[in-house]
Amino acid sequence: MRFLPLLFLIHALGCWAIHESDVGTVDWHKKLVGIPLYKSSATAPRFASVDDRNVILTATANNVLAALDAKDGTVAWRYVFDPEDRIAGFYQNGNTVVTLSGPGGAIARGLDIKTGVLTFERRLHPNSEGLLVDPNDLGKGIAIGTTSQDVYTLTNGHTVTRLDKSTGKPSWTWSGQDQSSLTLFTKLLTTTDTVYVIGVSSSFASYTLHIVSLSSSTGQVLADSEIPSSIVNASADLFAFVHSGSAFAAWLEKGNARSLSLSPTLKNKKAQTLPKQSFEELLDVGLSDLGLFVGKGSRGSTVINLVDNASLGSTIGSSDASTIYAGFHADGKPHIAKSFWSTSAEKYTLEVNALDASAPTTLPLEHTDVAHLTLHVASSGEPQVFLTTESGTVQLYTGTQVQWSREESLATTTIAEFVELPEQISAEADAKGESFTHRLLRHAVQAQDFPRYFSSFVRRFVTGSYASATSAATAAADGKLSRDAFGFRQVIVTASHVGGKVFGIDSSNGDILWSRALGAGVTPSKIFTIKAVSDGVDPEVVIVTEKRSEEARDTVVFHLNALTGEDVAGSGTTAVRGQGSDAFLLDYGSKFIVILDDLQRVHFYPDNEESRRAFADSHSKLSLPSLASKNGHTVIFGSHFAFNEDAGEHPVAYRTWELPLPKDERVQTIDHAHRGPVASLGKVLGDRTTLYKYLNPRLFIAYTVTASKNLCGLYLVDSAKGTVIYQVQLPANNGACNIQATLSENWLVYHYYESEVPSSDVHRTKGYRVVTVELYEGQGPDDKTESSDMSSFDKAATDVFAFEESYIFPHAISALAPTSTKFGISGKDLIVATKNHKIQSFPRRLLNPRRPHRKPTSQEAEEGLFQYDPIIYDDPKRVISHTYEVANVQKIVTAPALLESTSMVFAFGLDMFLTRVAPSGTFDVLSENFNKAQLVLTVSGLIAAIMFTRPMVQRKRLREKWYM
Amino acid sequence: MSRILEYSSLETAVKWSKLPSPPGFANQASSTSKTSSKKSSSGSKTKDSFDEIKEKRAWDFATSPAKQLPMQAFMLYMSGGGVQIFSMGIVFMLLMSPFKAVFAMNEAFAQFAPSSAKNPKATSTLILQKLLYVVCNLLTLGVGLWKCRSMGLLPTGSGDWLAFETRWPAPEISLY
Repeated sequence: MRFLPLLFLIHALGCWAIHESDVGTVDWHKKLVGIPLYKSSATAPRFASVDDRNVILTATANNVLAALDAKDGTVAWRYVFDPEDRIAGFYQNGNTVVTLSGPGGAIARGLDIKTGVLTFERRLHPNSEGLLVDPNDLGKGIAIGTTSQDVYTLTNGHTVTRLDKSTGKPSWTWSGQDQSSLTLFTKLLTTTDTVYVIGVSSSFASYTLHIVSLSSSTGQVLADSEIPSSIVNASADLFAFVHSGSAFAAWLEKGNARSLSLSPTLKNKKAQTLPKQSFEELLDVGLSDLGLFVGKGSRGSTVINLVDNASLGSTIGSSDASTIYAGFHADGKPHIAKSFWSTSAEKYTLEVNALDASAPTTLPLEHTDVAHLTLHVASSGEPQVFLTTESGTVQLYTGTQVQWSREESLATTTIAEFVELPEQISAEADAKGESFTHRLLRHAVQAQDFPRYFSSFVRRFVTGSYASATSAATAAADGKLSRDAFGFRQVIVTASHVGGKVFGIDSSNGDILWSRALGAGVTPSKIFTIKAVSDGVDPEVVIVTEKRSEEARDTVVFHLNALTGEDVAGSGTTAVRGQGSDAFLLDYGSKFIVILDDLQRVHFYPDNEESRRAFADSHSKLSLPSLASKNGHTVIFGSHFAFNEDAGEHPVAYRTWELPLPKDERVQTIDHAHRGPVASLGKVLGDRTTLYKYLNPRLFIAYTVTASKNLCGLYLVDSAKGTVIYQVQLPANNGACNIQATLSENWLVYHYYESEVPSSDVHRTKGYRVVTVELYEGQGPDDKTESSDMSSFDKAATDVFAFEESYIFPHAISALAPTSTKFGISGKDLIVATKNHKIQSFPRRLLNPRRPHRKPTSQEAEEGLFQYDPIIYDDPKRVISHTYEVANVQKIVTAPALLESTSMVFAFGLDMFLTRVAPSGTFDVLSENFNKAQLVLTVSGLIAAIMFTRPMVQRKRLREKWYM
Repeated sequence: MSRILEYSSLETAVKWSKLPSPPGFANQASSTSKTSSKKSSSGSKTKDSFDEIKEKRAWDFATSPAKQLPMQAFMLYMSGGGVQIFSMGIVFMLLMSPFKAVFAMNEAFAQFAPSSAKNPKATSTLILQKLLYVVCNLLTLGVGLWKCRSMGLLPTGSGDWLAFETRWPAPEISLY
């Protein structure tokens, strides 16, 4: 008895390691990098060669610097920057990639180009001094010294620093003017012994070009010169390049392409103008080393040479926005790639041109929304084109073939939903209307499978090779989409906010089953399963989106078949003209979507009599919490619904309550509770009394911040009446509140950073905390109010008490969720995505708020309580993501499998990761080390023994009758 | 004064008492018959004393379950509080034996029925002793139940009935 708590402790803490053999069968991981930041040349994808291996370096919208292997498209390495440390540009310097990131380019880093390992990190100025500009790369630059290979950085638009190439140690710093000056330097050039800093000074209508030359060894100003110009857009129209050892500045001015050769003394102030041609836009396609640019003019695009001020040949293509150009040169031989709509081929086409008489390579493209191209021509002359589309697909074309393709819009997934698959139909017998001969024939055909079935039956019977809970969810042999024995194979429908891309992902292996682009300007907001397998049809999902066009913002509903991604009739309908405020699934007899517009009128999808009737029947019971702006700040209010004569056919949501908050307390957001079946109404204690769970299905979580008192608030509010059931004030971290909380059944868990440490109190330490709260009915054990079917307006609805306990948590987290199972009988674990890129599972037993602060009594031990320990240790056995780096998880979605014991865990953000967990062990499946062969052998041995001894016994009995 | 109890001679109704002695047992038989005849001479008085003795025996029998209680308590103590084969066996014995005993009560008390009883197996004969017997058996049963309770086998707490509680759908629904 004395060792029982210890036993429980071991049980609770020790059973969570994932077996190495299970990795890759029960889980999968998709390593993503995000959509390349192609709009700026400082961050756009470019080819780099490492030890005869080509990689594509790119900075992405997910704030990642990545190297993709050109051979197969795998991620060779990646460096994930912190969210507040926006990457501004990267530059290859031999075997190092130098990056500038943070506000104003605050931090310079050197990364090894082969491995991505950080070689140096140097802070150039404090984040608070960073100059925030738009676009982010403006006023920042990196240049590499031609002989020393040292790194020159331009940060904050006015500071140039020379850093050592290997250690990043600054040797000198030059600061242009103070920050209040009107000059913003944007370009940095290096020649043998001079550094040129080129920028613009604001004047009345346009910018004046400002050039400073510095000594590269000392950083002293050699010359300072202002050149009158009329540059309108400093980020797009100003260029600088070095051509065969001499520096040039080039800009577009009133349609004229002008260039200026720079010398250390900056004596030359006469810019050359390309004669006779006017351009709308100049493009640096990567040929600036040769002085070549693409000029887009009214009559098409031409390649122009800004060193000689001549244009090369005639137009190379149209100048409209859908035609994308890229350039590459090897040994002074330029190539230009362009993607365009070919009217002759009626296809979107890619063409690689060597700018000479040789025939261009052309190939048709799969995608029509190409956004950016990067060209590389191997020494063999075979072109490679790295292509980025608007909707986030990146592809590498080698020659005329697609070498690989990646769906990087998955890294911008915002919503995901598990959809169950239908069972495999073994015999396609239509039971009715089948003639006798037909059935006879069908059976005859099926009979040929009998020997195989029989042998497999015998094998299965003898060896017991059943599907186990840790076996892979295998696809059906005929390739049809059907579920496996335990329902681990489901379709995860995800939607990304870039390009409205929707994916159907196989949960068994992470393969993309189908993908759909809902169109430009479509932002998915919610996803609902409107028809499940249990309805007897293919499962269908509804995605509620906001479609932005130039004229309007409409709420558009897409209704897709979850197995194929095909449209179901009615898909793509505009449910609400104008902005919708929110959408909900209402399951009341029939399932339908309730959409509220900004006038709080109710719209339905599908908009039919059935949903109208169901809504009319249920509307008096419905309530809805939402956020609205009032006097310039957000308030939480609750609505009920009414049929109003004035509003016409639409029912209207009207406000019934508003959450009163202190004067300077501001609402951040609200979050709903996890819903799932409740298996047990209470918690039975050791003395067999019951703590009845407070199961109010209308609770939601509200987060607030009080900046003046440096406090964060967390509330549990009843949405029908606005009653605050539970509330807590937490210290904010320098005015910022980042509370992560989750509520399921009566269990609330929240995580925050404790930053305030009053000196008088030694018990408090700085660090992350996780607080676990359980709400129970009444005042104590056996006090029952039947909260789950009680009205919010009942007097006893607030009769609730809470157990709370706080633990020191080892990590910052980015998402948390409880597991969910089919019937809710299994325990609930807390799944947490930590900021160090791991997914961890914490047993509920560990987070029990009733853990005693002393040795547990025998009754407490009977309940499985063990002594309170303020620290939750960082136990690597609780990591369920194995060695995968699951970076920047934004959300964790859990879904039940068919097995009650098992819950699926899907984490997404930058990466995607799926695994299965069994919080209470796989109690509903035979354990893997169950020895079926031994059992069968024992039973058959006994049968043999009986058969052998029975005649002997019978003979003996007969003899006894005769002789006794 | 010590008495020799000879059950065969107590029952006047026993048919064997009228049988002649086997050959060669004459001496003893005669001595026995002598005493019996001597005693039977003072007929009704002896009969009353036998009834008295039987009644005393019946009282003894009626309290016998209570006398076993200390031993049973000791057995329960030794079997421990866990739910396992020994403790369960003892508890089952404790729970079953009172019922068995009570159902077989009339049979068990028939041998102590007074000679005047018309039907020795009727419930009404020796009713006081039987009542005491039932009470004593209830004591045994009570000890068994107490043991069950201490082992947590009696559904006395609200937790034991929690699984049978039902709740209806909530009267108000929150959209989310």
